[in-house]
Amino acid sequence: MNFLTNADSRIVFAFWLGVGVVVMALLMMMVILIMRRVVENNDRNHLRAATFWRRVLAEAMHGLPASVPRLARGDLAGFVDVWNDLHDTLRDGDNPGMSRVAAEVGLEQKLYLALDHGGFHNRVMSIIAMGYLKSQTHFDKLARCLDDRSPIVSLSAARALMKIDPARAVEMVLPHIITRGDWSQSGVAQILQETDPAVVSRELGEVTLQANDGVASRLVRFLADVSPEEASPVIRRIFSTAHDDHLLATCLQVMTDREDLALVRPLLGHSRWHVRMHAATTVGRLGEHGDDRLLLPLLADEQWWVRYRAAQALTKLSFLAPADLQRIRGAQSDRFACDILDHVLAENAIGARA
Amino acid sequence: MTLITLPPGLIDALNWMQWVFFAYFICTNIIYLSLNFVSMFSIIQYNREHGSKFRLKNFAAYQPPVSILVPAHNEERTIVTSIQSLLRLDYPNFEIVVVNDGSTDSTLQKVIDAFGLVEFPEAYRKRLDTADVNRIYASPIYPGVRLVDKLNGGKADALNAGINAARYPLFCVVDADCVLQRDSLARVVQPFLEDASTVASGGVIRVVNGCKVRQGLLDEVGLSDKLLPLLQTVEYLRAFLFGRLGWSPLNALLIISGAFGVFYKERVIAAGGYRSDTVGEDMELVVRMHDRMREEKRPYRITFVPDPICWTEAPEDLRSLYNQRVRWQQGLAESLIPNWRLMFRSNGGVVGWIAYPFMVLFECIGPVIEVLGYLAVIVLGLAGELSAEAFFVFLFASVGLGVLLSVNAMLLEELSFHLYPRPMQQLKLFLVAVFENFGYRQLTAVFRLVGLGRWLAGLRGRARWGKVHRNPTWQHRGAAVSAEVVNPPSGPR
Repeated sequence: MNFLTNADSRIVFAFWLGVGVVVMALLMMMVILIMRRVVENNDRNHLRAATFWRRVLAEAMHGLPASVPRLARGDLAGFVDVWNDLHDTLRDGDNPGMSRVAAEVGLEQKLYLALDHGGFHNRVMSIIAMGYLKSQTHFDKLARCLDDRSPIVSLSAARALMKIDPARAVEMVLPHIITRGDWSQSGVAQILQETDPAVVSRELGEVTLQANDGVASRLVRFLADVSPEEASPVIRRIFSTAHDDHLLATCLQVMTDREDLALVRPLLGHSRWHVRMHAATTVGRLGEHGDDRLLLPLLADEQWWVRYRAAQALTKLSFLAPADLQRIRGAQSDRFACDILDHVLAENAIGARA
Repeated sequence: MTLITLPPGLIDALNWMQWVFFAYFICTNIIYLSLNFVSMFSIIQYNREHGSKFRLKNFAAYQPPVSILVPAHNEERTIVTSIQSLLRLDYPNFEIVVVNDGSTDSTLQKVIDAFGLVEFPEAYRKRLDTADVNRIYASPIYPGVRLVDKLNGGKADALNAGINAARYPLFCVVDADCVLQRDSLARVVQPFLEDASTVASGGVIRVVNGCKVRQGLLDEVGLSDKLLPLLQTVEYLRAFLFGRLGWSPLNALLIISGAFGVFYKERVIAAGGYRSDTVGEDMELVVRMHDRMREEKRPYRITFVPDPICWTEAPEDLRSLYNQRVRWQQGLAESLIPNWRLMFRSNGGVVGWIAYPFMVLFECIGPVIEVLGYLAVIVLGLAGELSAEAFFVFLFASVGLGVLLSVNAMLLEELSFHLYPRPMQQLKLFLVAVFENFGYRQLTAVFRLVGLGRWLAGLRGRARWGKVHRNPTWQHRGAAVSAEVVNPPSGPR
């Protein structure tokens, strides 16, 4: 170290910089190795607990008179994982044997504590587990989680609430479906599909009609998934008033009622191409005799997708036989119409899709 | 001992340059450490929000359909396996568009035979200009597989033809020689579901050498026994886990690897598609999209997914490594300079004010300063103007900072995905992180300088297909193959 005494200041700086970063690098390497050991130990314990409780819960599920051991604090995460896994496999999400085990190990109280004091992962898993537990005791506490900043926490809380008391929860959850733009649409769809349509469809229809066009296009899709019958009158109401193209296009995609064809036909001439395209697809799905004539002009549309969907729609009209389609093809003089019909007819012939 | 004598003016200049190199070196490392800091928060938050155990179901109706584009040129050895592995992706709605870019081997016939393709009268839309398309094939057996056979035009041209043929609003670019995981597509599409303004998304590319691959999908993660791939493993960790993840939360990501990335098709078409006169077409597109979106004042996001979703083979010989790095550096310059308007644009944000200037100063010009620094040290040493103490102290600091950055990347890896679980693997990576500072970094700096020289000399042409010697022992044990492959993914820069 004597060389530092009379050395240039740059050399002194570089030396101590080097010492500092090497020490930091070695410390971080040690942290990595220690973390690895900790993670390995945790994984091992988790696996042991999960294996043990999977056996206990599986026996209880099948009604075997298993004695229920004490649930150690360190085993809770493993237990909850298994509890959630097994409930996912149950059709109605409820099993008396598992509920008995939950009561004997005091699961409700433990989950309550994990909700406040657990890490992120354990907190979410506890919320999901509370939903499967269907205990009303902590309903209000879960309801507060709906406002959590994390979409995973809030969406999991919404799912749990809908499992515990759907009638009460629907009024809390629907406003969040409207306002929480960060909730995944798949997640919301899953929650709604797990709920009895009778509970959710009426309220969902009402909020759809009250929502702005941007939100309504999301909601109408959910509604159609939950209950196509409830969606039809809502779609008619939307069509009866002026709405944006995106909402119209969404309604066209989920429409299932032939009665609504009269609303669809004028849209085949809409100024926006994506509305024309969806209208053509809807006519193909629901169309009646005579609708084929309305589709023919779209075969020469300036937009490829409109031409393509119109051609597909023609092939989907059940009253048109292959010979009719060939006749339509033969009657076309427009090059684009011919090309797109050749394309779709060939696609149908080989069973390809788009 | 003095081996050469230098005029006093030159010695002063070299000594003065040492200060410049030193300041440059400190700045680079401060920025990298800052990026590391951002990455650490990003990765912790990402893992919290995307842990698989509480993932809700992904209903097909709510997943956007994706067209997977596979550009191929003389890929007869790997193309069928690649398509088969893509068909096993765990995603509800996708099509595969293979683009045969005028292969001179049996790529076309192999794909036709393997998937029972038949010629198809597709109403092909030429929205982007490309070399002529000969024929389009479709499969009666695999309804989602199509093949566009076109005249040779380079990778960018092949991708543009694929975009023309793509049916879906999102397209995913996959190199024909890459290995994916079953959930790769679902993960890389996720940003589009979470933020409607997302226009592009890319993911981590990892080194497959040393891993085990079964039927085109990754089976077991491991480390290579060979030195060059090992060195690149650490390099990839550094480049992707903080080099890119650090920029992503700031919406300042300038590269999405051409090996695996997803794009919103209409925005790419609006930007003019891939440029076929560059070798770095993947990065050039991303830089141009930033520029366009800011020019049009549209809200947008270009996102990076930290999950390891694509595995690529790193070159195992120096010649291939040289080719790869030369191309990368040339591509970097070709991507940045034509889009210079992005820099310091009034609404440029972090990308225009920090990321772009950083890339120009430290990544593009970096090799020049780095190599000049090495040369100055050698010359001063030979002239007896640099003491042994000073040399070793600066080497010590430089190696220390390099190791710190690599260990940071290893820590990020451990915090997130723990793909290298054995302590021996961690120690091996640590040793490599030290060893790479003695020769490897200097060598790649020289390679990059050559790339920059090629760009300066105007040796650019259309985006050709790079030639890299592949030895995919992870896939076909013992069978060394030499194949012309897709441009190597834009990896660590």
